[in-house]
Amino acid sequence: MTAATTAATTAATTAAITPILRIEGLSKRFGGLTAVDNFTLAFEPGRLHAIIGPNGAGKTTLFNLISGFLPSDEGRVFFAGQEITRLKPHRISRLGVSRTLQVKSVFNQLSVADNLWITAQAGRGVMNPFRAAASYRQTCEDVERVLEQVELTALADRLAGTLSYGDVALLEIGMAIASRPKLLLLDEPICGMSPAETERTVAKIRELAKTIDIVIIEHDMEVVFGIADDITVMAQGAILATGSPKAIAADEKVREAYLGRPEDEDYTGEAAGA
Amino acid sequence: MTNTLIALAINGLVWGLIIALIALGLSVIFGLLDIINLAHGDFFMVGTVVAWTVLTITGSFWPAFLLAPVIGFVLGAIIQRIVLQPIRNAAALSIVATFGLSMILQEAVRMTFGPTPRRILPPIRGTFDLFGVEYEVYRLFAAGVSILALAAFFLFLHRTKLGTWMRAVRHDPEIATAMGIPAQRVYRVTFGLGFALAALGGVVASPITTVDFRAGVDVLPFCFMAVIIGGLGNLPGTAAAAVLLAFLEGIISSFATPTVARIASLVLMSAVLLLRPQGLFKGLAK
Amino acid sequence: MTRTAIDRGVLAASAVFLLSVPWLIPAVADRFWVNVIAEILIWSLFASSVNLLFGYVGLLSFGQALFFGFGMYGVAIGVEKLGLGFWPALGLGVAAPVAMAFIAGIFAVRLTWHYFAIITVVFSLIFYFLALTLKPLTGGDDGISFAIPPTFRLGGAEWGFANESFQYFFILFAVAACLYAMRRLLASPLGKAFMAIRDNDVRASLIGLNVYWLRLVAFVIAGFLAGLSGALFAFFGRYASATYMFYHVSGEAVVWTIVGGAGTLFGPLVGTSLFILIREVVSTHWQHHSLIVGAMAILIVIYAPRGVVGVWRDLLERFGAPKL
Repeated sequence: MTAATTAATTAATTAAITPILRIEGLSKRFGGLTAVDNFTLAFEPGRLHAIIGPNGAGKTTLFNLISGFLPSDEGRVFFAGQEITRLKPHRISRLGVSRTLQVKSVFNQLSVADNLWITAQAGRGVMNPFRAAASYRQTCEDVERVLEQVELTALADRLAGTLSYGDVALLEIGMAIASRPKLLLLDEPICGMSPAETERTVAKIRELAKTIDIVIIEHDMEVVFGIADDITVMAQGAILATGSPKAIAADEKVREAYLGRPEDEDYTGEAAGA
Repeated sequence: MTNTLIALAINGLVWGLIIALIALGLSVIFGLLDIINLAHGDFFMVGTVVAWTVLTITGSFWPAFLLAPVIGFVLGAIIQRIVLQPIRNAAALSIVATFGLSMILQEAVRMTFGPTPRRILPPIRGTFDLFGVEYEVYRLFAAGVSILALAAFFLFLHRTKLGTWMRAVRHDPEIATAMGIPAQRVYRVTFGLGFALAALGGVVASPITTVDFRAGVDVLPFCFMAVIIGGLGNLPGTAAAAVLLAFLEGIISSFATPTVARIASLVLMSAVLLLRPQGLFKGLAK
Repeated sequence: MTRTAIDRGVLAASAVFLLSVPWLIPAVADRFWVNVIAEILIWSLFASSVNLLFGYVGLLSFGQALFFGFGMYGVAIGVEKLGLGFWPALGLGVAAPVAMAFIAGIFAVRLTWHYFAIITVVFSLIFYFLALTLKPLTGGDDGISFAIPPTFRLGGAEWGFANESFQYFFILFAVAACLYAMRRLLASPLGKAFMAIRDNDVRASLIGLNVYWLRLVAFVIAGFLAGLSGALFAFFGRYASATYMFYHVSGEAVVWTIVGGAGTLFGPLVGTSLFILIREVVSTHWQHHSLIVGAMAILIVIYAPRGVVGVWRDLLERFGAPKL
């Protein structure tokens, strides 16, 4: 049994069988286009869940709906048993749902440290104008901790706008965890990264998955099959298939629609053997 | 009293048509270049000054109808090239640039033309009887010219290549560029066109209003009201809103002061901004 | 020389200069420059309100003159019509704009970008026209003049704005206190929240910040700054007039802020000083100084959009002065 599954069992027993995220019949239409189509799924706690699918399948829209950025047309969303369907984004964030954006974006004119600082502090109540930020010991310690975790300590004072793409992605992940979320929604975290950066980031995500529930949207099949406990395939806004990596790799519909021809068996073969 | 009401209402209608012309210029600039042009009222003012200058030099008013829009177009294109194009990435700053432009235009006119307001006599004199009121012929003429100009503009927009380009760039600049449309040149033409429309409005309006370096200050908010209430990017809506607003203000002026009328329009504009930012005339948009 | 040392040096020199103005200036130039500097301080406070919103929260307000006007009229009406003393009138001159900023902000802050800028102008125009219309209350175009009540009564002696040096120091103290408060605000969680919203409002709400509410708070604080500057202006000029509520006044403050350097603490002061000094110096010889103002606005926006203080910072960085 891996560490992840042990943690999952513990989490599962302590949280009863409440899924960390439960989506019921979620739909979103833009004019004539159905972006998300009657999406129903329960996400078990303690497992890393990947959502894959071709471009335009509705994955990011799904995240936007969950995090409150778009109002849904139909359906409901439950986080740790609590309904969050109509809540505003900042409320949902404060409940413990954290997310990164597909197009990497941080606070460009703040330093790396300040980016983390404000993220850590944002969920902690009223923004006090009378105390100096540096006097918040807990928050500052959290910032130090996260900087170490994402290995950005050396760049702490640099303006976020001057960072390389790979470092911005790391900062985003740092910000995602700085707020101590219970659920982390990662939207294509390794998009545009070099192989070395990808390796680093994937290792971080694996590390994080031990303590935080993660749902990740990703295109890179190698990565997905390497780290996911569960995979859901989306196409045209609806769920095409969902299950373990083995099951997905073997699924005919998925291979046809998405994974490609039999010649591209390399990674599916890998996953099947994993 | 009813006579005054009728006269003011018709005045409002006439003035509204002229403003529609000017506001249309603002609307294409705002809609296409995403620029809040605080100098637009001054473009109008330049038109009135050109009219006065032409009249003084040649003794005839008519050449101004051609000269003002041409000068406006050229000036607009130049301004776009040297001021707006270099800063096109900083939208917030363009409003500051147009504010600076406004100061320059006003001061330049004050320097050359002088601070005293002047009046121009209408090129067509005479009055006629309209619903029991002695009404100036020129105002009707002005309305007619405005209607013609508006029609010509819409024809241009929908029948010519340039007009189609403008609409394409407004719709999606990236795709337009990918299709080979020279976006920068379209922006230049648009800004020039905006200036030209305002200048034409200035010429048409000059016998009705005073020629003064501050004439644009009053016109500017009105144009913005028309653009917002008509709906951003909604050109026919802007024209309709201009006419409607001026007409309403005319009516209100008959029993209250013009200032109160202006306050009423501004309140309406606030309501539209807050409740229905796409404007009141959504149905008219293409 | 480190950057902090240079910054501190400049700050100290300026402070020494400003503190010595009432004695230094008359020794080298005409007395009236003391009042010019006092006026610069007042207007730079006004520009600071624009700066707070634009430079630190990302909201471009073209209507701060509205709150300036409320502050101005709060004092003028307070003294002239209500017979208030100095401090109650000042209180009114601050309370009125803050209240107005809260009410206006509830609506305005729901909009963003162009629409926000436009609605701030619209609100200020509405009240400008109202001020013109309500002549009995506001004196319309002519405005209200009043005699200034004394500020302090100590024993048998009276201290007030009637004394030019007292007036100068009161204004200097008020403006300096506000700038100091602003500096502390910007280093606080609220300040960082503001800047996060400025940089990326989508991300800000994603991390749990209530963007609407925070923008409203900023708008009210800016309204306070603009209102206080209006109140000080009324006391300074013993006068209030609707012309100061026109959008042109707001617009000039925006230019001063951007030229001085938006998003920097002293940018507004630098920008305001520059333009008012140009106005005072040039207008004695040439009455078309507006041309210079307009031209500078355009040139700065094209070539140095970060303003004077921004360029100063860049230069310091370029020439290798380390931060600490």
